[in-house]
Amino acid sequence: MAKSTYSKVDEYGFQRPDDFDYEMYDNFMSQYMRVLVRRAQRWSTLKGNIYKKTNTLKRFVRKGIPSDRRTEAWMHLSGAQFLKTSSPVSYSLLKKQINNEQIIEIIRIDLPRTFPDNIFFPTDEQLPKMLYNVLAAFAHQNKEVGYCQGLNYIAGLLLLATKDEETSFWLLKALVEQLLPQYYIATMAGLLTDLDVLDELLQKYEPVVHRHIHNVGMPWAMGTTKWFICLFAEVLPTETVFRIWDCLFYEGSKIIFRVAIALIKMHKQEILHTSELGELIGCFKNMRNHRTVVNCHEFMKEVFRLSGNLSNNQIEKLRRKHKK
Amino acid sequence: MVAADEDRLAAADRMANRSGTAQRPNGSTQGKICQFKLVLLGESAVGKSSLVLRFVKGQFHEYQESTIGAAFLTQTICLDDTTVKFEIWDTAGQERYHSLAPMYYRGAQAAIVVYDITNQDTFGRAKTWVKELQRQASPNIVIALAGNKQDLANKRMVEFEEAQTYADENGLLFMETSAKTAMNVNEIFLAIGK
Repeated sequence: MAKSTYSKVDEYGFQRPDDFDYEMYDNFMSQYMRVLVRRAQRWSTLKGNIYKKTNTLKRFVRKGIPSDRRTEAWMHLSGAQFLKTSSPVSYSLLKKQINNEQIIEIIRIDLPRTFPDNIFFPTDEQLPKMLYNVLAAFAHQNKEVGYCQGLNYIAGLLLLATKDEETSFWLLKALVEQLLPQYYIATMAGLLTDLDVLDELLQKYEPVVHRHIHNVGMPWAMGTTKWFICLFAEVLPTETVFRIWDCLFYEGSKIIFRVAIALIKMHKQEILHTSELGELIGCFKNMRNHRTVVNCHEFMKEVFRLSGNLSNNQIEKLRRKHKK
Repeated sequence: MVAADEDRLAAADRMANRSGTAQRPNGSTQGKICQFKLVLLGESAVGKSSLVLRFVKGQFHEYQESTIGAAFLTQTICLDDTTVKFEIWDTAGQERYHSLAPMYYRGAQAAIVVYDITNQDTFGRAKTWVKELQRQASPNIVIALAGNKQDLANKRMVEFEEAQTYADENGLLFMETSAKTAMNVNEIFLAIGK
């Protein structure tokens, strides 16, 4: 068999790491292709109101939404479709209200700084323009959030996944205003709360790792801020991120904690082998190269296996406790 | 590509550290080794990440990704008979990330506060950072002020003398730098190392 038939960029235009294991990826893809075919078949058997939330649909989503259905499924599962149809103001009208020079300027500065290594963003004339429209329209209709760095990466990935500007806008709105708790407002209160919630969860589920990280002297935020802010964009491989987002759109922000707990558990030995801060940070940075992380299908199974039972109630209780 | 380089760097670091712990940083006969925690602060898009990238890897990207949270890099250099290892925290510049900054400058021995010489607002923001460091960081912290983007001096909005006077009054090291041309980049890190 040839060493690899895969290109140095993934299907979404991102460079693979220099030390990417193509042989392992080849093996994974030959299995995963069969999984994708099977999932597509299974989804085609869904009848009637297919986005009605049922245990079957939840299981289907956890096993991955077929990529040709992703846009439609994300819109319905996240509530973005409802936002769109019930909004008194259309997206094209929202775009006409873009006028705040200060917001326009900070978004413009970040446009060429969003995925500069991606093969589509810098070369395509439309993508940066679409990214600008989505971010600026969003910032103008939500003054409390405005523009927060990090949203550029989320909106950028939404554009790459859906290839549609208006869809990306409503999905971004559903994420920021309904699915995630106040991560992006000026005080970032929701983020600071969730960092503490994760701290407490790990203390409970992985006390040994928790104590070790504490002893090395790393505040959790150093390793995990980006997990919450970018929803694993720029942290994990693209297809893995989209599989996480499938569940995020269906099950809400609890998924971020489940992925975080699973990542820590998967890397337990590596983490415990570190003895000082630089090493520990390096360990967090290297998580994207882990075999299981690249195998997105196996990874999602592991996420739900390793993170055990985590209820929305439990998360909400901890959020109230750590409210900023 | 950049991420992979950083990873290799981190791996090299881990190896260096393992042998380093055996020798102990001080008291070895092979010259002194000192570790240095340094933090970069300043408004968004003034060139913090670019200065670090130039210093650590000798590279420059016209469009550097916006930093979320913070990035950690290391660089080891020899100064006379001393090996100096810089542990560098490169922070996010947007105002709302401010609440996360203290954990990065807490315990730092040095800080580089960066502004963009073509943008007066970023100089104001730099002064705010200096004040905060003087109040909240460790009392012995060495603070350097970097007026970056010197290659765009034809669009200058902050005069060299104005910044120099401010730096003198506040006991800061001061240089104008350019991550693009590499001007004064090694120099400012080395000046801090000394």
